[in-house]
Amino acid sequence: MVEVRLEGVTKRFGRVTAVNNVNLTFGDGEFTALLGPSGSGKSTILYLVAGIYKPSKGRIYFGDRDVTDLMPNERNIGLVFQNYALYPHMTVYDNIAFPLKLRKTPPEVIRDKVLEVAKFLHIHELLDRYPAQLSGGQQQRVALARALVKEPEVLLLDEPLSNLDALLRIKIRSELKRIQKELGVTAIYVTHDQSEALAMADKVVVINRGVIQQEAPPDTIYNEPRNVFVASFIGSPPANIFPATMDYTEEPCINLPGGTRHCVEDEYAGVLWRMKPSKVIVGFRPEHAEIVENPVDGRPVIVGEVYTVEPLGRENIVTVASEDIHLKVITPPEVRPEAGELVYVAVEKGKLMLFDPQTEVNLRYIAREWSQGG
Amino acid sequence: MARRGRQALFFLLPMLILVVAFYILPLILTAWISFTPLTNWRVRDQLDDFVGLENYVNLYYLARYDPDFHKVLQTTLVFVTFTLFINVVGGLVLAILTYLIDERISLAYRLLWLLPRMTPLAVFGLLWYYFFYGGPQGTLNSFLLKLGVIDEPVRWGTDPAMLPYSAWAIIVFVNGLVGVSYGMIIFYSAFKNIPRELIIAARVDGARTWEVIRHILVPMVRWHIVFVTVWQLLSLITSYTHLFVLVQWSVVDKWYGTTLALYVFNTAFFDVKNQGFAAAAAVILVIIGSILGLVTLRIMRFSQMISPPRGDI
Repeated sequence: MVEVRLEGVTKRFGRVTAVNNVNLTFGDGEFTALLGPSGSGKSTILYLVAGIYKPSKGRIYFGDRDVTDLMPNERNIGLVFQNYALYPHMTVYDNIAFPLKLRKTPPEVIRDKVLEVAKFLHIHELLDRYPAQLSGGQQQRVALARALVKEPEVLLLDEPLSNLDALLRIKIRSELKRIQKELGVTAIYVTHDQSEALAMADKVVVINRGVIQQEAPPDTIYNEPRNVFVASFIGSPPANIFPATMDYTEEPCINLPGGTRHCVEDEYAGVLWRMKPSKVIVGFRPEHAEIVENPVDGRPVIVGEVYTVEPLGRENIVTVASEDIHLKVITPPEVRPEAGELVYVAVEKGKLMLFDPQTEVNLRYIAREWSQGG
Repeated sequence: MARRGRQALFFLLPMLILVVAFYILPLILTAWISFTPLTNWRVRDQLDDFVGLENYVNLYYLARYDPDFHKVLQTTLVFVTFTLFINVVGGLVLAILTYLIDERISLAYRLLWLLPRMTPLAVFGLLWYYFFYGGPQGTLNSFLLKLGVIDEPVRWGTDPAMLPYSAWAIIVFVNGLVGVSYGMIIFYSAFKNIPRELIIAARVDGARTWEVIRHILVPMVRWHIVFVTVWQLLSLITSYTHLFVLVQWSVVDKWYGTTLALYVFNTAFFDVKNQGFAAAAAVILVIIGSILGLVTLRIMRFSQMISPPRGDI
């Protein structure tokens, strides 16, 4: 199909900068998720690619073709909306046929193509119905059929699953991914739901306030968040984040809440010696820690009082208060400490993340960039 | 079932009272009067003095033989047809234009078109009285005289050489100017209710502006088009105020400016004060209006647009 490239794209609405100097490549045939909170500019990027918005600055390319000044209909894209945007006064057949009719395709060809895509998406028995007579999942497929019937080079999906109920969402999620791989179309998927992004995408782009925070495969986003925002946005519940002071008397050590100390692993030691920050931001994921009765081995340990226990069946979420910091820990269902009990939170080895307090960037990335830079 | 009936009656009652008091009763009264020789409001003497179908027979002869009444019927047909066309199609065009342009300009533009509706009838009438006045001081005449297009003043609405078309043009124009804003407002608000995504989707699907209008905007306001058409049709058949002013001030010819509704009004209250005869004409007018209204709903396939209720009571 085609690769989509944004070069230095900025979009302003009046005084608001929705997208700020974004350089981004959506790989040919890849499934990329644009992930961010509402108002982060992810939908704006999608609409810029679609041609509904014109960038205030920068260029957009489909392969070698500069499409910055082309109208949406000149770009050969398919777009699926959150609310499906089916034409309510047209039957399912006419909805799917609409883009072909506008291209003045001969009626026999339209018929064949509509039937083909309808069969592919299992909606060929609904062709005479009106959108109002369809369920949410069926409307979703019709919207997808209308986007695919044009045989687009780029498929744009704007939170297409968020109006569906939870069960259907998981079902269509896997189906959507299969369809995308089968057609080999370049797909850009906008969502605020991290589980969708992580489950479906080949590459996840995390956006906040119009700026790209991280661009990486799902497991990297999850395990090695580039900055505090990504760490605190991804995960359910998200990573525990708190500030801590440093002590460099012998080696770089962190003063953890509750009065314990943890001297850092080698991968952080070098960068900490060089930067010598008096404070760092510490983070770890709730699933990378456990509640222990005695501090053991060399694991970082935080002392605190049990605040609440939320049993979820498969697991419990235990909130531990240490000084004025609340930490969440995911425990097996049988671990149910009493509220008020004094416990130790032990973080798995190598799972403690440290961030530069100024830039909020993960020290691991700073170390890596330094070693690459020489 | 009885309970449902009672509930239905409860909700319908306020409107029923209004309809009975201000529509059914006057209608019965009018029908009653149409069988009496009532003139000059001599109610005590003539209201129980039945003359059978005499008024209707007179109306029939008038329709058959009176050249002035022929003019009234022709005028009614032309006036209703053309003004209705302007009100619906013009309203739709204005609504589309105001929908497509920038919101601030659009607002000013819509306000401008609402002015004729906001202007008091007498002022609006006076405006056109001056504009089409037959002497050299008339606005249009003086303008054209200065430009040298005409050599002497034209009696726009009354010159026999240009009748009936000039008079018809004036009454259609003046009424259309008032009526077109109604459709514009209804259609514009209907357009505003169309989800933005539908327009974007159509654009992405490859629709140019004209195709968006044809395939999305207009079909999605079909219900509103039916409503405005029927509403305007019935108001045009029965309204006479603007025409009354134009005729009374001799802006247009008396007969080529008079529709059936104005004829009824003049006959009952103004010229000959023959209420019995006017009532007979009014009854015919109501029957024509009802039939035309139903036919229009039928043509526009109203029954297919009715959806089942959204909730039970």
